[in-house]
Amino acid sequence: MLDVALASLIEDMIEKAGADGVVEFWQRVGDALASRMGKEAYLGWTSFNVAVREGRTAFSIEGDVTPLTDMAITDVDGDVVGYLYAMKQCCYVPTIFRTRYAVGRMSPGDAVVMEEYNANVHNIAVCNFCVFHERFREEIAKNVTVSGNPLVSYLLATRGWSGETKISSKNVAMVNINEEHVRALLRNYECVYALVMRGARLKGGR
Amino acid sequence: MPAEARMPECNPFVEVATALFLEDLATKVGVQGLNNYLVSLAKNLGNTMPKEEYASWPEFLGALVSGQSILATFEDVQPVTEHAMTTPRSPFDRGWREYAKRVGSFAPVHKQVADYFNERVRPTAVTSFHIVLHTFRETAAARIKVGGKGVRYETIATAWVDGTVMMPPEDRLDPLLARAGISRTKLGMLLRNHADVWILELA
Repeated sequence: MLDVALASLIEDMIEKAGADGVVEFWQRVGDALASRMGKEAYLGWTSFNVAVREGRTAFSIEGDVTPLTDMAITDVDGDVVGYLYAMKQCCYVPTIFRTRYAVGRMSPGDAVVMEEYNANVHNIAVCNFCVFHERFREEIAKNVTVSGNPLVSYLLATRGWSGETKISSKNVAMVNINEEHVRALLRNYECVYALVMRGARLKGGR
Repeated sequence: MPAEARMPECNPFVEVATALFLEDLATKVGVQGLNNYLVSLAKNLGNTMPKEEYASWPEFLGALVSGQSILATFEDVQPVTEHAMTTPRSPFDRGWREYAKRVGSFAPVHKQVADYFNERVRPTAVTSFHIVLHTFRETAAARIKVGGKGVRYETIATAWVDGTVMMPPEDRLDPLLARAGISRTKLGMLLRNHADVWILELA
């Protein structure tokens, strides 16, 4: 019930701290949670992807994550330096429906925080919780190594509870994945992200 | 009631994030400030829910059991007498387990704020979450009318996932048990496998 209580209080939080303040607050909570998760090391992508599938990694706290092992990310030399990962259900969708059935409607503050984030940080959010868990993933990626290399997370695409979709053109270009391939994934998944070895020379890298 | 008509369960990650949110808040406003925040969070939630009216007490009990009352939004309510209610599983059970599994031991501030609440408001909170639950129940009960009269909530005992039990001191417990219509032995039996024992009665 904490989730519904908090969702109902977003408007009050905006009143006190402003939408930008709520964005900062959520990001700080993302940092705090990531810092409590500890470090992880994997011999290679195969062992990491098995761990993801079995729910053993820090990323698994968000729910069931599917490693899309048919969608590898390669560097300028053609070596595999990452993969796409996807969640069938956004972590926050159950809370949105719970709020709907508990209170009667989702707080309009949810959209206000989302729009603030999309306008000023990264145009990828479909709810206020995206603010928290994009930052959370970015931070835990730094603490996970594959073949001795820490990871970096790029949020690529999201689909909200009412069907709206967002694709991050800059991140899709960065990992050199065709935008249409990502769009096709959104038919079956609500959140798609890439995990790549930090420092890899990506084809789309700047 | 078909399972799909019940409240969907939340992703425990959201509850873990909320727990971290509260810990972050406590570093800024302290234990007293966190207590005030949790009380206002729960009151706000209760007050955003629609009011209810029932013709009779049996009709109200039926709505509790079937999950139709706002008091049964977040927990399964099982009456054991006309006025003694039980909650088999804490609504925070899954979130706490996920926190313990993925993050580690629960931050001490959750217990500290519960102690603060126990001293000043109601003596049955084990963690911060119970401040929300008990205050929500009180606020929600006040929005319900049965036969034209208000409903009053009181807590008897809370048993947390780790087995910790909180109940009022002896001199306050006996009158509560009399109002609930259960004995001490019955309370002990209930606390073996229930998360909460509480009272609903006409105001």
